Amino acid sequence: MSGTVAQSGGFAARLPGSGLIVALLAVVLWEVLARLTAQSFFIAAPSAILAHMVDHAGLLWRAFMVTLWAAVRGFVWGNLAGVLMALLVVLVPRAERLVSTLALLVFCLPLVATGPILRVLYGPGEGPQVTLAALAVYYTTFLPVLVGLRAAPQGWFDLVRSYGRGRLVALREVRLPAALPYLVAGLQIAAPAAFLGAIVGEFTGAERGLGVLTVRALRALDLPATWSIAVIASAVSVLAFAAVGWAGRRLDLAPPQVLLAAPLETRKSRWRGPGEALLALAVTLALWKGAMELFALPRFFAKRPEDVWAYMVSGPGAEAHRAKLLGAMAETLAFTAPGYLAGLALGAGLAVALTLAPRVASLTMPVAIALRSIPIVATAPLIVWALGRGAAGTIAVVAVMIFFPTLVACLHGLARTPRAVLDLFEVYAAGRWRRMLGAQLPAMLPAFFASARMAIPAAILAVTTAEWLATGRGIGALMATVASTSDYGMLWSAIALIGLVAVCVHGLVGALERWVLARTNAEQLAR
Amino acid sequence: MPDAQRPDIRLTGVSKSFGGPAGEIPAVAPLDLRLAGGSMTALVGPSGCGKSTLLRLIAGLERPSTGEIRIGEETPDDLRKRAALSVAFQDAALLPWRTVAGNVALGRSLARRPRDAGAVSELIELVGLSGFEGRRPAELSGGMRQRAAIARAMASAPELLLLDEPFGALDELTRDRLNAELPALWEAHGATSVLVTHSVAEAVRLADRILVLSPRPARIAADIAVDLPRPRDGVVLASEAFRETCGQVSAALRDGQAPGRLAAQ
Repeated sequence: MSGTVAQSGGFAARLPGSGLIVALLAVVLWEVLARLTAQSFFIAAPSAILAHMVDHAGLLWRAFMVTLWAAVRGFVWGNLAGVLMALLVVLVPRAERLVSTLALLVFCLPLVATGPILRVLYGPGEGPQVTLAALAVYYTTFLPVLVGLRAAPQGWFDLVRSYGRGRLVALREVRLPAALPYLVAGLQIAAPAAFLGAIVGEFTGAERGLGVLTVRALRALDLPATWSIAVIASAVSVLAFAAVGWAGRRLDLAPPQVLLAAPLETRKSRWRGPGEALLALAVTLALWKGAMELFALPRFFAKRPEDVWAYMVSGPGAEAHRAKLLGAMAETLAFTAPGYLAGLALGAGLAVALTLAPRVASLTMPVAIALRSIPIVATAPLIVWALGRGAAGTIAVVAVMIFFPTLVACLHGLARTPRAVLDLFEVYAAGRWRRMLGAQLPAMLPAFFASARMAIPAAILAVTTAEWLATGRGIGALMATVASTSDYGMLWSAIALIGLVAVCVHGLVGALERWVLARTNAEQLAR
Repeated sequence: MPDAQRPDIRLTGVSKSFGGPAGEIPAVAPLDLRLAGGSMTALVGPSGCGKSTLLRLIAGLERPSTGEIRIGEETPDDLRKRAALSVAFQDAALLPWRTVAGNVALGRSLARRPRDAGAVSELIELVGLSGFEGRRPAELSGGMRQRAAIARAMASAPELLLLDEPFGALDELTRDRLNAELPALWEAHGATSVLVTHSVAEAVRLADRILVLSPRPARIAADIAVDLPRPRDGVVLASEAFRETCGQVSAALRDGQAPGRLAAQ
């Protein structure tokens, strides 16, 4: 453990020297590239961005503070919710499947749709931004904290039991301290995500903030303004990520062993899985309807499950509605699936390549970690401008969104290959490729699948936002349109369909994961 | 001096099997056993024979599949609820975020005993970890971790002390020193102790009685009383009687291990 700490300290120590030179070179290259492509109109030169920032310093600063304050509040509420949910699952293990499914479902809700709905609910003000920031972070905190609360070896619980102490003492003495490093890892991912959530929340009719400026700049095709905001958002994200990491190191925590464990295979009978899925569906529908009735939300915009059913299946014009929605969904999926697979393949592939060339890896890891925290969605319009409104742009946005987390997770997984196994290959003087195939790839698989699951909501967020802000196609654009024309039947139907697809894909990836890991990493499933 | 006679541990018809995908795997065959209060019993046997399972049954960490265990009138659960027993685990089970002193102090606080920094540092000194109070487990060698775990187990002054191969990772010198110094501590308190060990010499040196277990499922292959005088100092260890007892235990281990193969030779 102390070795890893020293290593990450080494990364930080190496950054200022070589990192500064790399950064300077990158800025120069950027400037040159921007000037060369000035007529094609998608890269703003650093000098132009700087000029814009200086000219509009007051405006940008005020907008930044508004967004930051919303992000901070969302960060606190979202992480609080994530931690409480993880505690609930640990104290009431039976609730796990239900809580996990609901958490995933809510996390997959497209911000494009929830934004306008929250706007109607809250009215003017900062409610939607704060809520969306909270929604953007709770899941990435819930998952690692849950793993951390369970990561303690059986011996520590035996110790508590041997003194006749119960679950609360085990929670206080063992689980909570053991989960602390996992919480820090979760908060680290959450810090940039909260900022991103607040920006997206401001897209939907806020009065002030960076999100408002983004939409204004996009409409006006103001290149330096769009780039300025993307640069500010990226810088804040990298700083927030680094700040939480620094705070974690100050606490002198042992780094977490496994960030995202495979889903537990607790199925006792053949009917347990489908049974729990049905229960989750029933509870979702009940919560959906119950919450709307409880707060007496007007039926005009708060569509109940039966309204969606009527709109899509039994009511007048259902066939036309269905065709429209499914058509948009098919268009979206046709772009999302290649982007999703390409992002995963590129991330894992680069991780393998970097591990085969360890010198390069030690230089790229900090850069990759920093880039992971950049809110890709804030840069989505730029990517689409660069690659066009067709398939390439959307696929690239999705792939880039997934690429960095996958790269970082896979590098971590590869680095976790047991020392003794590597020594064994060393003893037989096995080559790099042999070692990769025999020892390192199997060690990477759990991390790879964990990021494949986590990438599903990320892909949905990326594709719907890109479609909404830039390409004007698919379900993202459909939701934006119907939200502005108050066609709430279609909006709720789209939300329900996306949630359903997300949970199904998640289940599919989970099944594939269990199938593969049962053959390669059985110990990951036994816990 | 024991302030009161400790109650005996009685096992009646105790067996344990673990459910596996291929059916039940018996770990401990039905046992009837009485361990005298205030005495030290050593369990020796081949690896994986169920020694540790037997210890965990007595600690109440596992439920017996059949039969029952009583310590005097109490069940192991009653004893645990009173925090009257403690276990020194094979893998030390130190909490990595606590220092050595913090881990030893945890033995008192889990047992709901008041803080006592003096008692904690005395124990740390006894197991030879003075100067390491502020270190985390990750900075200690395997042997030092086990010594910290022993100190933690003693910190609650238990009536029943269960030691699961506590000296396994220690070097010969440290092992010898702890074997010489620790008995005084638990004898003074009059704790009933059960020790799981691989070392025949250690069992003979520490125990009043040695139970040799057969390979899985564990049965009692031999029950050997150790009538050596205490304290068992250098003179005793060099005596003919000590060597004779060691030979007896080793022979029982060999016979219990693979009688078929011996006969064939």
